[in-house]
Amino acid sequence: MSTIETRVDPITASVISGALDSIAIEMGHKLARMSYSSIIRESEDFGTVICDHEGRQLCESPQSTPLQSGPIPGYVRGINRRFEEIGQEWKPGDVVMHNHSYYGASHGPDVGFVVPVYAEGELAGFSATTAHHLDVGALTPGSCGIVNATDAYAEGLQFNAIKIEEEGTVNEWIWQIMRDNIRMSDIVVADMQAQVAAARIGAERYSELIERYGLETVRGASDDLMDYSERVLRQEIEKLPDGTYSAEGKIDGYLDHPDPKYRDLTMAASVTVDGSDLHVDLTGTAPQVDLPINMPFEGTVDIAIYLVLRSILLDTERHDPVPANSGLFRPIKITAPLGCMANPIFPAPVIARFVGGNIIAETVMRALAPHKPDAVAASVGNLKVLATSGIRNGNQWVQMDIFEGSYGGRFGKDGLDAVDTLYGNTRNNPIEDTESHLPLRVTRYELWEDVTGAGKWRGGLGSVRDVEFTEPGGFSIEADGNKWPPLGAFGGADGQPGSIVLNPGRDDEEDLPSKIPYRKVDTGDVVRMTGPAAGGYGDPAERDADAIREDIADGFITEESAKRDYPHYSG
Amino acid sequence: MRVIGVDIGGTFTDLALYDTESGATHVHKVPSTPDDPGRALVTGVTEICGLAGLTTSDVDAVYHGTTVATNAVLQHRGAPAGLITTAGFRDIVHIGRHQRPQNYSIMQDIPWQSRPFVKRRHRKVVTERVVPPAGEVLVPLDEDEVRAAARELGGEGIESVAVCFLFSYLNDAHEQRAAEIVREEMPDVFVTTSAGIFPQFREFERFTTACMNAFVGPGTGTYLDRVAGSLRDEGVPGNLHVMMSNGGVATARAAAERPVTLLLSGPAAGILGGQWAGELAERERLITFDMGGTSADIGIVTERGVAEASARDTWVAGYPLLVPMLDVHTIGAGGGSIAHVDDAGAFRVGPGSAGANPGPACYGNGGAEATITDANVVLGRIDPDRFLGGEIKLDREQAVNAVQGLADTLGLGLLEAAEGIITIANANMARAIRSRTIEKGHDPRDFTLVAFGGAGPLHAAEVADSLGVPEVLVPPYPGITSATGLLTSDLKYDVMRTVFQVEGAIDAERINRELAELSDDVRGRLIEDGIPEDDVTVTAALDCRYVGQGYELRVELPDRHFSDDALARFHELHHQEYGHAMTDPIEIVNLRVTAVGVRPKLGEPKPSAGDLTEALLGEGEGVFRQNGSIDVQPTRYLERARLPMDEAVPGPAVVFQRDTTILVPPNWSARSVPSGNLILSRMRP
Repeated sequence: MSTIETRVDPITASVISGALDSIAIEMGHKLARMSYSSIIRESEDFGTVICDHEGRQLCESPQSTPLQSGPIPGYVRGINRRFEEIGQEWKPGDVVMHNHSYYGASHGPDVGFVVPVYAEGELAGFSATTAHHLDVGALTPGSCGIVNATDAYAEGLQFNAIKIEEEGTVNEWIWQIMRDNIRMSDIVVADMQAQVAAARIGAERYSELIERYGLETVRGASDDLMDYSERVLRQEIEKLPDGTYSAEGKIDGYLDHPDPKYRDLTMAASVTVDGSDLHVDLTGTAPQVDLPINMPFEGTVDIAIYLVLRSILLDTERHDPVPANSGLFRPIKITAPLGCMANPIFPAPVIARFVGGNIIAETVMRALAPHKPDAVAASVGNLKVLATSGIRNGNQWVQMDIFEGSYGGRFGKDGLDAVDTLYGNTRNNPIEDTESHLPLRVTRYELWEDVTGAGKWRGGLGSVRDVEFTEPGGFSIEADGNKWPPLGAFGGADGQPGSIVLNPGRDDEEDLPSKIPYRKVDTGDVVRMTGPAAGGYGDPAERDADAIREDIADGFITEESAKRDYPHYSG
Repeated sequence: MRVIGVDIGGTFTDLALYDTESGATHVHKVPSTPDDPGRALVTGVTEICGLAGLTTSDVDAVYHGTTVATNAVLQHRGAPAGLITTAGFRDIVHIGRHQRPQNYSIMQDIPWQSRPFVKRRHRKVVTERVVPPAGEVLVPLDEDEVRAAARELGGEGIESVAVCFLFSYLNDAHEQRAAEIVREEMPDVFVTTSAGIFPQFREFERFTTACMNAFVGPGTGTYLDRVAGSLRDEGVPGNLHVMMSNGGVATARAAAERPVTLLLSGPAAGILGGQWAGELAERERLITFDMGGTSADIGIVTERGVAEASARDTWVAGYPLLVPMLDVHTIGAGGGSIAHVDDAGAFRVGPGSAGANPGPACYGNGGAEATITDANVVLGRIDPDRFLGGEIKLDREQAVNAVQGLADTLGLGLLEAAEGIITIANANMARAIRSRTIEKGHDPRDFTLVAFGGAGPLHAAEVADSLGVPEVLVPPYPGITSATGLLTSDLKYDVMRTVFQVEGAIDAERINRELAELSDDVRGRLIEDGIPEDDVTVTAALDCRYVGQGYELRVELPDRHFSDDALARFHELHHQEYGHAMTDPIEIVNLRVTAVGVRPKLGEPKPSAGDLTEALLGEGEGVFRQNGSIDVQPTRYLERARLPMDEAVPGPAVVFQRDTTILVPPNWSARSVPSGNLILSRMRP
């Protein structure tokens, strides 16, 4: 240990590491409290990060969702690339807005705001926030469930490194364009201004930190901390046997599409471990389509992979906390053939890329599973995003509900029931908030009983949520996992696919596929979403009989299904 | 009147007795009895009466800070509990907000799934539905189903039942009726309703709070009954009162109904003790810093009183909790915190702790890892012969060995490594303070740090220095500040009601009517507790936000009367808190009313004093970090009780007293003041 070369003494580095974390936490805390839309304040679908002058991440708010904080260095890279193309550069007093999916942004609704920080006469870093906005002017209301956009232009406004403030001068016209081109612009603009305010707070704190320790020390400590995080991850990669490990997964795509190239799409991953280097190659993944389930290579695919590798190799339940910085990216190389769904070519649409990324992540997990059996889960139940909207007293309203999946069984533990999965980690909207503000009523929200992936450690249960319209309105959904079940692992049984049903139990009941473009509904119409039950881990015949009895007592499973799924169980 | 404060900690039970007639204060410590905490309480009360020359029959009231409910939650040892909830929503308390507690973990557990307060088999559903905006009944309560559910729960051996219905914060009639039926069917069970605990929106958090109350209710009630009984048996005529998380005290009877309001009982008492010391010294803005063997608690006091936690920030043992509580921030940094270097070379201090056993290496009980206390010994900041008034002899050599091992790993010298442990620990604590000051819009340079607990005064000045806090105040009894805090608190009840009223359509008459109702309710509770009407003060506030926001800010209502002025004040508050205000309409979310019943307060201590020659015990070498490098300086050892009054003694110095050790670093001075406090001030270089 004493041979590790550092630029700054470990004591100062530790102090600066803590100070950086507290900056990102403060930014996140203030953003959540200042913002208006429930997708930010309740679901916490936002990210806050400080980057160094090269755009490398130094810290992130743990309150943020990984798919928001993770992409921020890519946003900064994308802005720099765009600036270079158009002969621009950063200036003190700038605020830059950015959401271009082919310039590092995660997808159009996740708009980033970046404030450069100057110290000692030079660019010292960036303070950045990202957040999911209710609407960015796509073809139908909301920013989720836009599953029929045919190209990037149909997904809404694209901001490619736009200076909304230039050397301290505010450009009000930008906000004017927003107000004229997006729905619910009052809320969206207020949320964006909250993001700018939070980014400014971060910039101020980062400047104070540099004032206190000097730029050279802060840079030295930042480099040390990135080296440290890299070293920790490399130590874990080295414990894996060298070799190449592959897996494939399937997504539904558009189950009702007449053309088979839109259905049952393959996600493929090969993981090569070579010493402390790890290479993930996605060759074999389905070709891109002209519907928006392609995934930006930078901002979605890379984040999904970093997230899952970090969760397996540096699982925070078992591992000391590691500074969340760009050092964690260094040992990992990711490639995907240009023109596949995981590396599409502009202007292929990408706005509904969320659920596919989850399958990329878990395919990587399955590839590694045989060599890390005590640190992985069987397959997760995928997610759904429901966008509801309508006109009330002449005003447009939009609400986004991210609906949970479930986690597969794990070594020594059953899977987590009804949770957001992998790179998403948002929160649901309280029923008492939704019904108080919108013409919606939630009439059921509970676990999906008696449906599990059996195993020595069973998969987590899915859940059921019924949403009723109390006024006419509309909805759209992006989801996956209506056809392909979460897979079992190490002999565990597969889980069960989820479903979406309009007006369950009524004469006009309708089973819907997992991608539903905007459609109108009437008062009294009900959308039922059922989240998949995740896969089991290990041979069901080895499940502890007491655990089976406990599950029956709690109504997670019934006596009948216990006898069916667990041959050694006889009551 | 004679009142006694008793704070039960893991190792010691601290007591303070105050005689309002003579003005005398007595303090005392007895070993805790973790198997039955009440035993130490009763022993301590008897002994402190003896010390004060009183008999137990002279005691008018005993105030108690308890961790019984907290430990039940932390150790997950509570009553078999049941839940009756709205049909269709059996798993609200299981699904939660569908968020995983950790972003980057496959193997994590979710507390409410892996350790539920109410197992799913005991969660029954009944037909009923209340809806917004005004709590209209959409589906009437099916009373037969409630009765059947109660019978089932009775048959399952359930001892405690939570009744939790959607939107009960708007209309609790269904919850009340269901609770009544449960009591009829199960006369001996403990019954909780979600709106009865805290009628605020967000169903998962409210239901979880109610379930936690159900879980800890029977045990807490039994404990408080037993303690009250033992005190009566010892001849103590006065009532037992218990400190609540909100910094008020309640009668044992009221506390037993809402034990979930007691979870921060101990730390809340500490903040109040710090506040009392601050008041004696006429300081209004305080950071209280209570550092013991395993953790440090931080609280904030401003001219608006002790800071309270906002609803999103109140968690206990990983579960969300919707009850008013003081904003106590606890971090794993105490004298026993272990320093280590991980495999990739990072130098860390805590959160792991050597605890009391084996304790730090210098305790000589077999602890081999370097702790904060060992570092303090190596640096000459703790005198091995005078630790805790000499009650525990420390082994300096063991401390040196432990720290040397770490130094070798890091390639540092012994002193550098020891100093590094302190610097990192202090930085962790400074960061925790920053999260409660700078991040909330308070400038620490306007505050005084009040340091207590066994280890607080050793670290306070350096922590203060790094935050720009200009002075540190060490209370008269730093080791038992929580017990003294118990004697400074008032009886207090908080009630609230969610109203959701939007600017432009506010029914001011309704708000004022409901405020009056709530005020009468809490005033009545205090009068029931025996507080004379004249000693009751009732205050009111609104929780407001801009329409569409999800978090509220609290606007005080002078005279408990709502008018449009309150809305104007909200804009100002928003600006103060977040740096900008909006022009959007304001939504009034909750009405809040607090009633305080004033109790006799602990008086000013009468400090002893001497002169510097008398106070000087000796001189040693102290090690300090000055401008980034390590410096060894001659350091005086002084006895606090003999320090001259109102004379600044420059550092570096170490000041000893029976229950703590105080470090005065270079560029700081120490001054005894007539209020009994010791004030450390940063000297201008």
